[in-house]
Amino acid sequence: MAGIVKPPGAFAITPHKVSVCILLQIYAPSVQISLPFPFSSVAQHNRLGLFLLALTKSCDDILEPKLDELIRQLREVCGLLHDWFIDHLTSRLSSISSPDDLFNFFTDMRGILGGPESGVMEDDQVILDPSSNLGMFLRRCILAFNLLSFEGVCHLLTNIGHYCKEALSSCPSYEAACSEDSNSNLEALLEYENMDLENLVFEKVTEEIEARKSASETVPFHLHAPQTFFGLVEGHDLRRKIVEAALRDIEVLVDVKPKQGDKDREASSYVHPPNDTSRDFEPNCGIFLRSNWQIQGYLQEQADAIEKNGSCVSLNSFELILRRLHKLAPELHRVHFLRYLNSLCHDDYFAALENLHRYFDYSAGTEGIDIVPPASGCNNFGRYEIALLFLGMMHFRLGHPKQALEVLTEAVCVSQQQSNDTCLAFTLAAVCNMLSEIGVSSTSGILGSSFSPSTSIGISLSVQQQLFVLLRGSLKRAESLKLKRLVTSNRLAKAKFDLTHVQRPLLSFGPKASMKLKTCPINVCKELRLSSHLISEFGSESSTMTTDGAFSTVWLKNLQNPLGSVVSSQENGSGSNTNAFQFYAQPSSIPGSVLQLIGSSYLLRATAWEIYGSAPLARINALIYATCFTDALSSSDAALAYVKLIQHLAVFRGYKEAFAAIRIAEEKFLSVSKSRILLLKLQLLHEHNLHLGNLKLAQKVCDELGVLASSVTGVDMELKTEASLRHARTLLAANQFSEAAAVAHSLFCMCYKFNLQVENATVLLLLAEIHKRSGNAVLGLPYALASLSFCQSFNLDLLRASATLTLAELWLSLGSNHAKRALSLIHGAFPMILGHGGLELCARAYIAEAKCYLSDPSFSVFDNPEVVLDPLRQASIELQVLEYHELAAEAFYLMAIVFHKLGQFEEREEAAASFQKHMMALENPQQEQRFLFSI
Amino acid sequence: MIELEGPLGKSDAVNRELVSLERELSTLRKNAAIDPFGLYLYGLVLKEKGSDSLARTVLVEAVNSYPWNWNAWSELQSLCTTIDSLNSLNLNNHWMKDFFLASAYQELRMHNESLAKYENLLGTFGFSNYIQAEIAKARYSLREFEQVEAIFEELLRNDPYRVEDMDMYSNVLYAKECFSALSYLAHRVFMTDKYRPESCCIIGNYYSLKGQHEKSVMYFRRALKLNKNYLSAWTLMGHEFVEMKNIPAAVDAYRRAVDINSCDYRAWYGLGQTYEMMGMPFYALHYFRKSVFLQPNDSRLWIAMAQCYDTERLSMLEEAIKCYRRAANCNDREAIALHRLAKLHYELGRPEEAAFYYKKDMERMEAEEREGPNMVEALLYLATYYKAQKRFEEAEAYCTRLLDYTGPEKETAKSLLRGMRTAQSNIPSMDVEHLPP
Repeated sequence: MAGIVKPPGAFAITPHKVSVCILLQIYAPSVQISLPFPFSSVAQHNRLGLFLLALTKSCDDILEPKLDELIRQLREVCGLLHDWFIDHLTSRLSSISSPDDLFNFFTDMRGILGGPESGVMEDDQVILDPSSNLGMFLRRCILAFNLLSFEGVCHLLTNIGHYCKEALSSCPSYEAACSEDSNSNLEALLEYENMDLENLVFEKVTEEIEARKSASETVPFHLHAPQTFFGLVEGHDLRRKIVEAALRDIEVLVDVKPKQGDKDREASSYVHPPNDTSRDFEPNCGIFLRSNWQIQGYLQEQADAIEKNGSCVSLNSFELILRRLHKLAPELHRVHFLRYLNSLCHDDYFAALENLHRYFDYSAGTEGIDIVPPASGCNNFGRYEIALLFLGMMHFRLGHPKQALEVLTEAVCVSQQQSNDTCLAFTLAAVCNMLSEIGVSSTSGILGSSFSPSTSIGISLSVQQQLFVLLRGSLKRAESLKLKRLVTSNRLAKAKFDLTHVQRPLLSFGPKASMKLKTCPINVCKELRLSSHLISEFGSESSTMTTDGAFSTVWLKNLQNPLGSVVSSQENGSGSNTNAFQFYAQPSSIPGSVLQLIGSSYLLRATAWEIYGSAPLARINALIYATCFTDALSSSDAALAYVKLIQHLAVFRGYKEAFAAIRIAEEKFLSVSKSRILLLKLQLLHEHNLHLGNLKLAQKVCDELGVLASSVTGVDMELKTEASLRHARTLLAANQFSEAAAVAHSLFCMCYKFNLQVENATVLLLLAEIHKRSGNAVLGLPYALASLSFCQSFNLDLLRASATLTLAELWLSLGSNHAKRALSLIHGAFPMILGHGGLELCARAYIAEAKCYLSDPSFSVFDNPEVVLDPLRQASIELQVLEYHELAAEAFYLMAIVFHKLGQFEEREEAAASFQKHMMALENPQQEQRFLFSI
Repeated sequence: MIELEGPLGKSDAVNRELVSLERELSTLRKNAAIDPFGLYLYGLVLKEKGSDSLARTVLVEAVNSYPWNWNAWSELQSLCTTIDSLNSLNLNNHWMKDFFLASAYQELRMHNESLAKYENLLGTFGFSNYIQAEIAKARYSLREFEQVEAIFEELLRNDPYRVEDMDMYSNVLYAKECFSALSYLAHRVFMTDKYRPESCCIIGNYYSLKGQHEKSVMYFRRALKLNKNYLSAWTLMGHEFVEMKNIPAAVDAYRRAVDINSCDYRAWYGLGQTYEMMGMPFYALHYFRKSVFLQPNDSRLWIAMAQCYDTERLSMLEEAIKCYRRAANCNDREAIALHRLAKLHYELGRPEEAAFYYKKDMERMEAEEREGPNMVEALLYLATYYKAQKRFEEAEAYCTRLLDYTGPEKETAKSLLRGMRTAQSNIPSMDVEHLPP
């Protein structure tokens, strides 16, 4: 978001600007001396220069400081010389008594500007470069003055009169402070500390406080007060609230300070303790002035905060702040945008809609996302297509895909009409994003003909194909427009697409031999790699508009630090190191949005590996994300990374550890609404209950999971599939085969309808499993084979291994003469299962292997008992970790039989006892409940 | 654009004394040591503090004990934003109550009720210019321009220097395109007081009617400089900017009007129209929805909304039909709705509905004695429809009426007639060419 750039006409000459001009004249008099008169050192001169720079930077302030405030600042900044400065300033101001004086003054001012012809720069001359910051300011002032009509000049004159008079009327405090400051260094120090917080936050200290200060030698130091303290103050003062929010980070800085030295510790003891209610609450005492840029910066910060973690900003209190801000600065339209964001992230549809429309009505889309001004220069028309883009994204976010598509179509048309390529690229990206996120079931009639070139050939494309065309087009457009961030996000979208879609040729004629019905992991990898090039390329992004507001605040903050340190070192009596002026560069040159994109590329990598079935790589990528990016990014993404890690833990280490980890994650992401953590918890609870045989509870958890999904068709598909998959599995565990099959079947239909291919493979496998359990192995075989072929074409290696295992089990249950075939299948899948599979899968494979051996008529236990016993032992260990009673009982049962055959009765008894224990636990799940409910 | 108040809005000064004032006044009220004016003051303080319901109670007490304080009544009115809150007030019977109710009804857009009240009051206060003007306002909202004009003429006779409400008179004259009357009015108010926002607005209207939009904008601007909350000037300026094709400025002006009073359906409508002009029908719908919500009996608004749905891009025809039907039900002056309804039904393959609406449209045109392509279209459709229904008599009647028109339709009608004759009897048809044209 860019700052509001005031039209040039808005620069009006005011008494404050006249004062700044006077100071400029002191800084750069038109005489040829290296060091102008009052200054004793170059450092002093530079300090005034910096101060002036800060003043001119904030010349677009919403409210300009009064003369007495300016004097106070001068006193703070200019140290010993301030008396002379103030005298000079006030006398110069009060000497202006007729319009002619003003004319002469500005003629003089022109003299201190170096002309373009003064090419010969003499080293010892202070010349104001007309194109420098100060020079520009001066020129603007002169121009503004020249544009004034005679009435305007008269107005200025009266205003200057008022300006001086006001300052004089509040002079008691000024004089008191003057007489005081020589003997109370401490107080000065405290003031420096205040200034140190934010130099341009000027306090208007009332006389009363001033008096109290001198009486009790304490200084009100509101910035220390905790939040509740501020809450007590009558809500009238908005600006304080803003300060409170904006300075939250600086507060930390203040709290750290006292350890610096004795002097500071002493100073901090003067800070009022928070319970000191004797401090008067006159709303007057905390009025801070804020510059236009600072408000913009504040809004920017809040927007970032909302983006990062929407639910941590409270809807009502922030709305209150914004409303007041709007009341105070009615022309600051950005406020409406913040209100929109705020209501959007709290899912308040009507308020969001209202504020969105209001914002774009006022701003006409001329501020906001990095806009390259149109080449044709048809600025007359506004850029309302951006409004459409935002409206579309809002509808999408609130789960109205139909409207969103409608609006985005309109956005595409309008941006084409207006030839706003940037907006078009963004819109296309938004459409892609939406199409890939929601399942749009009906194919035709949704996208207008303007979207894809292929429709003109008269071939109706499926949504997926359209999406593919769109993605490619949008990527190409973004690349040609050099919108780096958009390129990256398009690449990520493309990777996502490649991950789950088989590439087919768009047109259904031509040599079919070239068709390779597989997803392309290489493409995914390529896109992901290319997407992270963004960081290196980012330096050249032309986004000055975007960062201007933020930069301004950062710049101001940086200015504070050296100033403060220099001043306090002077206080310590060592005036020599005043040259230690240095500006820090902007701390981080990589904006949050870029970091976010890079981070999501890692997250996507983790997901890709998860799908392809490489557990270690998935874990590593999730870890990278969780460790390197969490601070900079949206907390819902961070939560996702944690979820992945915890899932990993659950699969490989059992539930106890996973639940412990969940507890940690829950604390971390307490504020995230609609949380993935909650989802994960439900998933794990379901899984665990299923294993424990606690089916009622499992079903309850599963139902809860289903409720989390939105009721709108085509939205939250992932969640819906998951819920009904789990439902089917619960039914299966309860041996209600026909119901389970019915659920799985309808799920398959849904997945097919919404083109969820990866889920299809899982559902098919589940169907095979259902048939296996119901004893219809012959019926199960085709499902298992179908699942296998799905897995093959989507490169789902782990799922494929598990499908192979199911296939083997099916063969085995067809009779002992198929045992050999089953065994070879299992052995084929073993490398994948042992390398990447979780505890459950491994255990199942072991048991199946043992069963194969045992049912093979040519195999004799007596020859080589370890071939059977070893996998069984392994399986039993893993299943005990997992608390999977049913399978564990089976393993122990098999073990007991083998031992019985071998005649090892002691071991047999042991295995049988374990078998009994697990069976008991399975039949009596209540015992375990205690643990579960404690979570 | 328009000079609003200083950037920080000086009028929004915060009154820091509200709390203490409230404390003092509430104790006074508790001790019953407060007079009606004190109560009024207390009500103001409460309203400012945002405790509306208590403010309402206090103000009711104030007006009940001293009914002639109109300021108290108007504060009370500003607190009654719904009809329910108005009805729940416990007011003593007094003639001031009627004034209050009439004005409140007006604000709640219950124009007929308001009109009845004012006319009732006029019986008692026969010479009140105020009541006359308010009646004009109500009738204006009911779009009864003739009566409004008459009322204002009389008002000006009684009070030649009146400036209040004259902007509404100028709107009427504008709508009726009375150039000279408008210029006379403009001159008159200009001589009376040229620095009234109403005067500037009237002059703006005059220039707008003359097609000099820049000048017109200048005068609306001046009006707004004098009173930046002058609602109709913002809206009218928006119209001017639309004429000048300055879209952002128009949107801005309309939006300001809407933010001043969110019940101004004209400004909502203007916003919708502007966006529709830019080819953003879906976006415009939001605004039209707002305006029809506020003024559900205005056919123009419904038609505008229907036309949005009807655009090629959206083509949400079912919704369009619903809107057109609403428009047809509230006395659609321009007679767009019926025709479009018939056409849409025809396009959607519903011949019966189409015939119904064509017939209605035709009856309407007959009543208003209008001819034109729509008439031909309706006749032709009805003829073919009845022929297909085998109701040859009606079909023949329509065909013969078609023969009165020139153009290709006449030939079609002839062939239709011929076809019907052959179908009716096996006897070869009469030579229709010989029929009188």
